[in-house]
Amino acid sequence: MPPEKTPPTLDEFRAQAAATGLPLTAEDLELLHKGYVGLLELMKRIPSTWAWAAEPPQVFRADE
Amino acid sequence: MTDLTTLTIAEAGALLARGALTSTALTEAFLSRIATIDGKLGSFVTLTAERARNAARQADMEISGGLYRGPLHGIPLALKDIYETEGVLTTGHSYLKADYVPAVDAETVRLLKAGGAVLLGKLATHEFANGAMTPDQPFPPARNPWNPKYQPGGSSSGSGAAIAAALCMGAMGSDTGGSIRNPAGFCGTAGIKPTYGLVSRCGIFPLSFSLDTAGPMAWTVEDNALMLEVLAGHDPNDQASAKAPKVAYGAAAHRSIKGLRIALARTWYEGGLSADMAKGMDEAVRVLRDQGATVDEVVFPDIRDYHICGRVIITTEAHAIHRQEVIETPEKFGYTTRRRFQLGAFISAEQYLSALRFRRKLTVDTRAAMRGYDLVMTANQWGPPEIFEEPQAIFHFLGKPSLTMPFNVTGQPALTVCCGYGSDGFPLAFQLAGRAFDEASVFAAGAAYERATPWRERRPTL
Repeated sequence: MPPEKTPPTLDEFRAQAAATGLPLTAEDLELLHKGYVGLLELMKRIPSTWAWAAEPPQVFRADE
Repeated sequence: MTDLTTLTIAEAGALLARGALTSTALTEAFLSRIATIDGKLGSFVTLTAERARNAARQADMEISGGLYRGPLHGIPLALKDIYETEGVLTTGHSYLKADYVPAVDAETVRLLKAGGAVLLGKLATHEFANGAMTPDQPFPPARNPWNPKYQPGGSSSGSGAAIAAALCMGAMGSDTGGSIRNPAGFCGTAGIKPTYGLVSRCGIFPLSFSLDTAGPMAWTVEDNALMLEVLAGHDPNDQASAKAPKVAYGAAAHRSIKGLRIALARTWYEGGLSADMAKGMDEAVRVLRDQGATVDEVVFPDIRDYHICGRVIITTEAHAIHRQEVIETPEKFGYTTRRRFQLGAFISAEQYLSALRFRRKLTVDTRAAMRGYDLVMTANQWGPPEIFEEPQAIFHFLGKPSLTMPFNVTGQPALTVCCGYGSDGFPLAFQLAGRAFDEASVFAAGAAYERATPWRERRPTL
């Protein structure tokens, strides 16, 4: 599912982080980069192609 | 009389109803034990002793006057500190809410009070129920009563610890990815994540709107059923609240399970459990078969699919909920909480929506795999709890997949049942999950298992 073919480097991630509006320390950035790359790897399990009308539940109900 | 603090809710309720016990005596027994024991565990963050004494006196007057409100009347309970309580500090175990005193009770708290429960106080949690304990928070983290050098699991950490240590008869927890079942398993209590939408979340600090559930924890399955009987019901102030019919869960806990069909999700845990947990699971399967249930191995979607699906939803929604605070006052969060709440800023809308679409697919596929079966059975935890002095990894989801997450993703009710003790003395546990809104079958099987085994007779020594 991740749109990126390869995970971002720390420098690329730093540029991405600048757009989030979060005040991040150097330590935050390193930790978040590691977490984000790990998350992207796991997210490969989520299908990337869906029928255009495959509607996600806005408010999920277990009895639907 | 036996030690009052180790009575079950069902036992104490019967004694109270026939006038053989007063709520005041029961409440004083718990307050005394808390004063003696809880310094070692840190399960309570706020004790409301005078309020509890007043509620107990009220219960005694009502019961002796012929007004019996039901199975929780006069019963001492406690609340995870993310439940808003009128006039009582509600911190979420965070400096961000260190002075917050709500004006109104959460709907579940209102229901407990209306049912005559005696609320002893507020319990430790992982900060904002995010699933990690760190020492940089306003109260010390709770410890595991089976061995205080270990963690009790979480995020309903104080709830699990307090019940196992006999500091309250039951407690409220919340479960977004396993936060009721995790401490229930590590502390050896029972605990149920009800069907998403069965219990109101109004007035409970949110972590992830799409997955948050509120539910009870208690020493026995039957006690969980009695608590849920009071808690279940439609709440128009909770957008996810369902209009489900009332069910007598306490009675369901006494149903026979002969002929019940259980799908064993062995592929989720096979090869990954500790030796003690693997043995406990095999024994639990045997006991349920001996009780007349059929247990067949069934292949469900891969556990890693549920794990990442739920994790993307939680990470994104938790960021949205706490975004303003992680921008304006990041230093007020604990070391781990802050990073977990920041991470969601990097997930795109397309990635979040794909996770939601995936959730629907996993729910449909799980339902298909369950066709012909009443329940799903699987392991509750991989092995023993973590050491107290070794905080959890910041991004814990990079380790083993969560065994509890599948039922958060599908919304099904899931119960944790203690199935013995390991060679290290820690409790072992399995999960039973039912179809949506079929908590009754879950309670029937869990209670039948408990009646057939001796595990409820052992308590931690403190």
